[in-house]
Amino acid sequence: MKRALQWVASAVVAAVFLAPLLWLLAASLVPTDQVFRGGWARLFFDGGWTLTNYASAWRRAALARSLAVSIFQATVIGGLGLVVNSLAAYAFARLRFRGREALFAVVVALLILPIEVLVVPLLLTVRGLGLTGGATALAGLTLPFVAKAFNVYFLRQHFLSVPRELEEAGALDGASSWRQFWDIALPSVRPALVTVLVLDLLMHWGDFLWPLVISTRAETRTVQLGLASLFTEPPIDWGAIMACAVVTTLPVIGLFRVLERFVVATDPRAGLR
Amino acid sequence: MGLTPSRLEISRRSWLAAALSAAACGCSSRPALRIWAHQGQEAEHAALAGIVEAFNRHHAAGSLRAELTFFPDFQYPEKLAIAAAAGDLPAAFELDGPLVARFASAGLLAPLAGLFSAAERRDFLPTIIEQGTFEGQLYSVGAFESATVLYGDREMLAGAGVAVPAAGQAFTWAELMLACERLKRSGVRPMSLHMNENADEWFTYAFSPLLWSGGGALIGNDGSSVRGELASARNVASLRAWQALFELGYASADPVDPDPFGGGKTALDWSGHWMMRSHVAKKGARLLVMPLPGVGPAPVAGCGTYCWGIARPGHQQAAAGAWLRWVTDPEHGVTPLARASGAIPGRRSAFSRFPEYDVMPYAWLKEQLETIARPRPRTVFYSTLTQRFAAALRDIARGDDVAERLRRAEDEIARVIERRSGRRG
Amino acid sequence: MTSWERSYARSAPWFLLPAAVLLGVFVVVPTLHALYLSFHQIDLLSLDRQRWSGVSQYAAVLSDPRFRRAFANTALFALLVVPTQTVVSFALALWVNRPEAPWRALRTVFFAPTVVAMPVLAILWTLLYQPASGSDAGPINRVLLGLGLPAHAWLRDPRTSLLAVAAMSVWQGVGLQMMIFLAGLKAVPPAQLEAAKLDGASAWQRTWHITIPALRNTFVFVLSVTSIFAFRLFVQPYLMTRGGPGNSSVSLVEAIYEMTFVAQDLGMACAASMLLLVTLCVLTALQRLALAEVRE
Repeated sequence: MKRALQWVASAVVAAVFLAPLLWLLAASLVPTDQVFRGGWARLFFDGGWTLTNYASAWRRAALARSLAVSIFQATVIGGLGLVVNSLAAYAFARLRFRGREALFAVVVALLILPIEVLVVPLLLTVRGLGLTGGATALAGLTLPFVAKAFNVYFLRQHFLSVPRELEEAGALDGASSWRQFWDIALPSVRPALVTVLVLDLLMHWGDFLWPLVISTRAETRTVQLGLASLFTEPPIDWGAIMACAVVTTLPVIGLFRVLERFVVATDPRAGLR
Repeated sequence: MGLTPSRLEISRRSWLAAALSAAACGCSSRPALRIWAHQGQEAEHAALAGIVEAFNRHHAAGSLRAELTFFPDFQYPEKLAIAAAAGDLPAAFELDGPLVARFASAGLLAPLAGLFSAAERRDFLPTIIEQGTFEGQLYSVGAFESATVLYGDREMLAGAGVAVPAAGQAFTWAELMLACERLKRSGVRPMSLHMNENADEWFTYAFSPLLWSGGGALIGNDGSSVRGELASARNVASLRAWQALFELGYASADPVDPDPFGGGKTALDWSGHWMMRSHVAKKGARLLVMPLPGVGPAPVAGCGTYCWGIARPGHQQAAAGAWLRWVTDPEHGVTPLARASGAIPGRRSAFSRFPEYDVMPYAWLKEQLETIARPRPRTVFYSTLTQRFAAALRDIARGDDVAERLRRAEDEIARVIERRSGRRG
Repeated sequence: MTSWERSYARSAPWFLLPAAVLLGVFVVVPTLHALYLSFHQIDLLSLDRQRWSGVSQYAAVLSDPRFRRAFANTALFALLVVPTQTVVSFALALWVNRPEAPWRALRTVFFAPTVVAMPVLAILWTLLYQPASGSDAGPINRVLLGLGLPAHAWLRDPRTSLLAVAAMSVWQGVGLQMMIFLAGLKAVPPAQLEAAKLDGASAWQRTWHITIPALRNTFVFVLSVTSIFAFRLFVQPYLMTRGGPGNSSVSLVEAIYEMTFVAQDLGMACAASMLLLVTLCVLTALQRLALAEVRE
């Protein structure tokens, strides 16, 4: 009985939580001038569903290219970031050097200012480095975000929880600090690493201002720019916008489903048997 | 045509010659002429891409190659601003008409003196030249124009016992209110004002004609004195009349449907040329096209849209000039663009290719632009002006006190003007 | 320090180098540049024409009514959202922290809003919040009316606009914190939980006495990061209300964005950014002092 109640409660919560997104899905499947025409119920039950919005969005938002750019961006930022940020996080968590706490406080402070605020100075810096325009714009799109204060902070959190005994055992075995990091600490924080990858993807999938600002041609047209290009002066093709939103959401959800099983991970004390 | 070419003609030819020779003695791999435009509707987008291709084919021999990049409509002004900040503006770019003053004053646009002959300038619609002129110099030209209109459904109006104005005449405000009351009583939603529009610019564009018709202005003629202008008694009166539309339930301050008129829900639509094709298709002979109603004796129409400018400083000004001439050319530029987007052709000589403009309802759009249309104020502070004015309009539609809200907007804008220019706003 | 700790410490600079270079070039340098610009009068479109203006930009920012209201709004927003989002996401994490398929589906459900494009979410929620005018009533108001409660123009009333934006933000962001908590829950020693269960401790007692203390570091992290992210609020009010009605929902970053791109007064925007930076540094420092971390 309790089980059934849990199921029902879960289903209700899920439905309420998802309601706006279900509307989005339904709106993407009706002809564009019907999107705001009727009430909510009509969208779901009137039938007459069509895939034209998807075709329209794919074409107009150049989704093939946008998805490629976004995936590239997420891969580089996530991949390089994993290396760079975990190294720094490990140092802050496990290596006792002078000024560590002060330096870490500075790092946390770097988390504060968002891109909307720093966009002009950052653009001038990136431009000064020659990373705007052309193929190098892709570097300009990704490099500024590879090292992220948020990731360093988050990973440090998890490195702090790696049991001391593992480290001491390693030291007794004569491991170098690199081996401590690579062979002992890193595997213990695998769920955190996966989480960081997903969070990075999340944070940059929605990036809009920076990809807009950095390109002088269409090199850095990410999915958000593709979606934004559908917001034209009136009349706006709402159906295509909804379809584009659905298409640009699915990859990340798919990746989340695949990766989140790794978040459910090994006990860090496993090595102590 | 005289026997001896005028000085301006020589200078125009020399632009072309300079362009071709500059292009010819450029690098062996054709240096691209970077061009930026706003994304626009799909058809417009495709038309512009086609025009660029035609331009490149035409100049293939002279190694002049244009490269067009689009940016999303809503963030296009931000993109231009930040590119200007970084010194990355392309050789030629589109910009929204009201922003010409700002860019020209910041030294980012090259004056177009000599690019067009006097005859060619006269060929442009007067509002295009007016919009592109700042402090006596021409800085931009457009390939097409826009127009505000009030659409009506003859059947719905007749059914409510509303007498429609004669062709080319607008409702007086009293007539409008009466019409709305009758429509409401007959069970029809009277008016659609598109208050759910995402862009701030819609509000300034659509409703400044109302203020103008009442004898008011958004900002002083010098472009920098807003105190006493925006919140003038006349404007307050005009907007109080406008606010009544919401208070009496004639228009919704929070609509959901982007096109209730097309969907048969409202009888009147405060809109513009961009809905003409769709409304004509849906309503046919039932469609009534009128000037926007005003609060004064004579109606005023809104106009102004994207136009093209040449960046300064720039190494490719001559080539950019060649592009400007091409994209505003009646045959190569104006016609494909106007045909694709439904906008009004910007060159008088192009109208011969558009027979629909010989008869109503399209004929009214053209007439309006020649007679009662007025571009938005040319001021360097336009971005602030439009944003705060739009915010004020939204709040007024939802019931704020008109005088107080306008005064607050005036105050906010004046504050920015004073900080930026050091002079009293 | 033991000798091996000392030798490990010597390798610290190598570990820090890549991040230090990248953060230095791409975060520190622009921040310092912004600090420099904040003492000048600069027009965004004419960056080469800079005029020293001392602290007048700061004075201008602090006396600007929209900025002041933005500050208050953002602080209030943080006060509303941070505890709410933390508690809700923790509760959700506890609830879905089971490996079976239905819980996996629920995890995806809660995560979904964090992925959908903000402009689209803004439209969706603007529709949800539609006032009850005529037949255009939004679903939330319809439900309220159906339950006999009064409908309201949530986004259009200056008293509720910020609340409405906050509610939407909680819905949107809860999945992210949930993920962080889930990652942290893996570190809770299952042996302890089993023992407590055998001892007859209720779920609530187990949570309160074992899980929460084990997650102390995660809580500190989530609280401080959520606070910082709350102060970075921008897209939601910008797209849903443009900071209106009046100034009732304008956020700090939105005000700075407007200074940059609308008024195009870069010096003022940078001064406001520095004020934001200082405020959050102080706030974060206070938080860290109050909630000392636990280290192994």
